[in-house]
Amino acid sequence: MKRSKWIWLVWAVVLLSYLVPYTLLSGVALWYGSFLFWAVAGLVVIALNVFITKDFEEHSND
Amino acid sequence: MTESLIWWSIAIYLVIAIGIAILSRQGPTESMSGYFLGNRQMNGFVSALSYSATTYSAFMMVGLAGLTYAGGVGALGFEIIYFAGVSLVAIFGPKFWAVGKKFGFVTPSEMLGHRYNSKHVAMAVSVASCIFLIPYSAVQLAGVGYLLQGITDGAITFTTGVVLATVIAIFFSYVAGIRSVMWTDSLQAIMMIVASTLVAYLVVQGLGGFGALFDTLATQHPQSLTVPGSGLFSFVTFLGLTIPWFFFSLSNPQVSQRLFMPASLRSMRHMLIGFLVFGFIYTMVSVLWGFSALAAFPSLERADLATPTLLGSEFVPPVLGVIVMIGIMAAAVSTIDSIMLTLASMVSRDVYANVKPNVSEKRQLLVGKFVVPVIALMALGFAELQLDLIAVLSVAASSGLVAMVPAIIGAFYWKRGTSAGALASVVGTSTFVLLMYATGNSLLGLPSGVWGIVVASGLFVGVSLATKPHQASTDAFFSAIAEELGKKKRRLVTDQATKEAAA
Repeated sequence: MKRSKWIWLVWAVVLLSYLVPYTLLSGVALWYGSFLFWAVAGLVVIALNVFITKDFEEHSND
Repeated sequence: MTESLIWWSIAIYLVIAIGIAILSRQGPTESMSGYFLGNRQMNGFVSALSYSATTYSAFMMVGLAGLTYAGGVGALGFEIIYFAGVSLVAIFGPKFWAVGKKFGFVTPSEMLGHRYNSKHVAMAVSVASCIFLIPYSAVQLAGVGYLLQGITDGAITFTTGVVLATVIAIFFSYVAGIRSVMWTDSLQAIMMIVASTLVAYLVVQGLGGFGALFDTLATQHPQSLTVPGSGLFSFVTFLGLTIPWFFFSLSNPQVSQRLFMPASLRSMRHMLIGFLVFGFIYTMVSVLWGFSALAAFPSLERADLATPTLLGSEFVPPVLGVIVMIGIMAAAVSTIDSIMLTLASMVSRDVYANVKPNVSEKRQLLVGKFVVPVIALMALGFAELQLDLIAVLSVAASSGLVAMVPAIIGAFYWKRGTSAGALASVVGTSTFVLLMYATGNSLLGLPSGVWGIVVASGLFVGVSLATKPHQASTDAFFSAIAEELGKKKRRLVTDQATKEAAA
């Protein structure tokens, strides 16, 4: 699979960032509720971007 | 905070920043791409810091903290969705970069004009960007004015603050165009992140640590830890806020223009990852400011007092308070100078050069340099006037700029897109968003943030299907991308063939 296809995982994280806090976590008024969920979502997005853009390093520059 | 401490700090900041701006010069720049794109030779580290400083205006430290104070954790969700949207750079970045290199584009609007073979598309995108971004800059300036006046108890008046920020922004743009802007941005980004993280650390410690802070929130303000929570972040409001910001990295020309600048895709990668790390820290820090203010000062009159109150509290030593104050001013300056340069390049490249054909690069650059202070003075004037219309235009900026998104995505992914479709989408959606804001920003219960992308996509696809695409420019555009981005593959294939032959 082409690396760029993994961008769909980022979009899945975005979708979950809308759905989960407004449903499953809407009653969890603790730090490990929506706060932790969105923080982890942010870290997952960083990791995915590191992975997706790995090939950029090999592109010839001329 | 004494008046002399404030002025001395500003003076030290200016000496360092001016020094950096002057050092960033690299011989005379006579071409548009030299002045506005740094000759497409920007390295990843500076690009990352500058991208961060440009994106995160003074809004974050004041606005996001205030939003968290008022609405709770939903503010974090809003920022994280915007943040995830910057991943669009991973997909669109190389394509922008490839066509920029191949055709010598200086502005994103020029790229769209070329792709759809229409000067009118380029002009419409440029004009719409000015309509939304000049008021946006004005509100940034006004924000700085109020904040400096508030934090210093009037030692720096509103007007002094606004004029100071404008003069610094013009100066940073003039020394060496985008090069001096990017290098000074880097200084400002470092100041912003160090100062704000220190404040968050000190305040959270002062409140008994992370655990104690969240215990206080959970027992005294449980709604602040959930959405919709107190109701500010209803799902519809959340959608209306997040959808336009999700597309920010494509819709806002001052950041999409950055995709033309990296020296290589490697530098672009460093820019993206560097920005994401910076943005993540900055987001968490700003949200923690808001939460801390809520725990320590739960009965503020207005949510936007959260940051000034926190900075004036016993948790923050005065010297750090001054550094943050300058950091906030720097955050506004670094956003405004980039917007000024981008708009100036668009006005000279896509409006002036299209109205008056066959003008030389040198002449375009001259016009661009003339437009920079004009835009700055317009923003300054609007900031001083405090018109309601300006505030409305500024708030409408994120929704309004979504007008460009379908035309940009279509440029790279839909050969059937036409100039008429792009034009209808840009003009129609901008007008629609302005009308929405003029009439209460609600249609069938949904805000323009939700409607904008729907209307823009509908117009782009509908009108495109009813008209004919320009085949030659479409083909040239797509083959340029394949050619530029295929370079690596060819080399790898050759390497592999060599290895096989050797075996």
